[in-house]
Amino acid sequence: MRKSHPVRRVVLATAATVSGVVLLLTLKPASDPASAAAGAPPPSAAGQQEPQGGAGAPAAGTVTGDAVRTQYGPVQVRITVSGGKITKAEAVQAPKGGTSDQKTALAIPRLNQAAVATGSARIDTVSGATYTSEGYLKSLQSALDRMPKGGSAPSASRVLTGKVARTQYGPVQVRITVSGGKITKAEAVQAPKGGTSDQKTALAVPRLNQAAVATGSARIDTVSGATYTSEGYLKSLQSALDQAGG
Amino acid sequence: MTTTLAGGRAARRQTMRRIRPRRSPAVPLLLAVWAGAAAVLWLWWRDTPSIADDGGRILNAGRITGLLAGYLMALVVLQMARVPALERRVGSDRVARWHAMSGRYTLCLVLAHVFLIMWGYALQAGRSLGDIVAQTVDSVEQLPDMGKAAIGTGLFLLIGLISVGGIRRRLPYDTWYHVHLLTYAAVFLTFWHQISTGNDFAVEPVARTFWYALYGSVTALVLWYRVLTPVRLNLRHRMRVEAVVEETPGIVSVLIGGRRLHRMGAEAGQFFRWRFLAPGMRFSSHPYSLSAAPRPDMLRITVKAIGDHSARLRELTPGTKVWAEGPYGALTAQRRSRGKVLLVAGGVGITPMRALFETLPGAAGDITLLYRADTTQDLALWDELAAIAEARGARLMYAVNSPQGERPDISVENLRRKIPDIDRHDVFMCGPPGFAQSVFEALRGAGVPARRIHHESFEM
Repeated sequence: MRKSHPVRRVVLATAATVSGVVLLLTLKPASDPASAAAGAPPPSAAGQQEPQGGAGAPAAGTVTGDAVRTQYGPVQVRITVSGGKITKAEAVQAPKGGTSDQKTALAIPRLNQAAVATGSARIDTVSGATYTSEGYLKSLQSALDRMPKGGSAPSASRVLTGKVARTQYGPVQVRITVSGGKITKAEAVQAPKGGTSDQKTALAVPRLNQAAVATGSARIDTVSGATYTSEGYLKSLQSALDQAGG
Repeated sequence: MTTTLAGGRAARRQTMRRIRPRRSPAVPLLLAVWAGAAAVLWLWWRDTPSIADDGGRILNAGRITGLLAGYLMALVVLQMARVPALERRVGSDRVARWHAMSGRYTLCLVLAHVFLIMWGYALQAGRSLGDIVAQTVDSVEQLPDMGKAAIGTGLFLLIGLISVGGIRRRLPYDTWYHVHLLTYAAVFLTFWHQISTGNDFAVEPVARTFWYALYGSVTALVLWYRVLTPVRLNLRHRMRVEAVVEETPGIVSVLIGGRRLHRMGAEAGQFFRWRFLAPGMRFSSHPYSLSAAPRPDMLRITVKAIGDHSARLRELTPGTKVWAEGPYGALTAQRRSRGKVLLVAGGVGITPMRALFETLPGAAGDITLLYRADTTQDLALWDELAAIAEARGARLMYAVNSPQGERPDISVENLRRKIPDIDRHDVFMCGPPGFAQSVFEALRGAGVPARRIHHESFEM
């Protein structure tokens, strides 16, 4: 039986816990670890700062997407459409302050370029600025959704909306664009929101959209970590495909 | 060993053959606990790719403390599940101290978790630390299972409050105990928000499965060892009070009869938690050591009338039904690593020592009992001890206050003088904390290594 030192024990336990937690927190990088592998951002990125906010009056045929909240602040995309194509993409809102300035400077120009190049929201996220990228893609998607139809899609294309699938976390509803017997676009018009659902929706829906276009069917793997949302998505997608007659 | 009497050598070899000290599993168990904590932290580490700002840091500190609290909470309950490996190998006293320590620590983690998470949420929502109360109300209203978690946390606070030293001493033991039982409800209530809102469990099915397994197995152990095992034991053995005997003023022995009591597997040095089904005693159970080696038809406990409960034992009538849980305790012959043993008893601490004195295998001269009491009248069970000493050739010594009330001097010198080869002994000790502490220091001074001083203390 060693002598007990209650005060010493309390002090030790507190110090060990606090320093352990602080250590863990400081060891975590401020951005996604994938960025470390990608190396430092090119210094030229700082020079390509996008003019944000109070830019001049939008040119004819501009569409502004939803403002999408990310962990670091809202992202909002405006695209200029001409002849059914995106001729210009820009961020009217992007995260600012702290490390966000750098990341915005790094990611936004690349995303703008990619949006113009692909004409869609099927763009890879910029590593090192994952949250910003995901916010950008969502906002871009919403802008694309508002684009005048017919201009952007070939005349033979049909837009089909699936049935609403109820999940534990909320309804999921999928809309697909079918052209020449293929899915050219898939999107969720409804998806779970609120609490952790926002994260999971942001995680799963873009992947599922991509997979739906890639496979042209509802035989898609569910996204792990968002099983319910995925299952709801697949049900709704299947019902849309059923409408397409195949 | 050179002082062995002729003919004792063969007998000692015989004894030594039976001495296989069983290591306490405390070290591997503690390692497993740390490994589990590391796994929980790893889970957080894997699920958190990056932390952007101070808000994120506060939120993640809250997640870490929450995960650790959830993990430790299961272990705190497990420590009181009366698992035989803990009760009989590590020792009930040590496990109870672990339980108290880890319980306090877990409560602190819970409070830190609540504060940090609500602060982090407030920052995310663009509020400040001052809005933490409003944020907490919002979160409890909006997030799943948070209402339950809030009630559970309130219960934890209540349970923590009544366990604070000063308050606990003023409460009757039974009141404290029954409020303490609410811990089960609190753990149940707070469990669900971990699964539904916990970032790591909501997203990761494997982690969720492990969490269910952890809590599920603790629940199963509690049900098995705290409910089913005692029910089976008491249905099988049907114990009743046979007689109550006054040993010395203030110390009574209770003889308990029953069926096939030797099948309970109790060893000398162990105790049971006893509940006497008599008016006013039905709702509390108390730990008392066996004061004699268990017999097939009879157990005996010897108790000093210090509390309400022990004073009432004297009025028990023969035939009173007895509900017992046990056997518990690790102060048994299994701890022994040497041929020679010194037993040290202070006051009513004689009870387990008396049973060990009778049953520890040993040749003449191997076993020594040192018995400390205030006066010679207080040397309970003395006649029995003398008879055992005579029959076994064991040594029996006592130390009492001088007629002037001076305390006897149990010092390094005295111990060495009385027992010259004391450093070759295993020492078993039972007595009040102050006495045990001073004897422990004297023994260490006399050259007995701490690992060979076996002691049980229910002081927190």
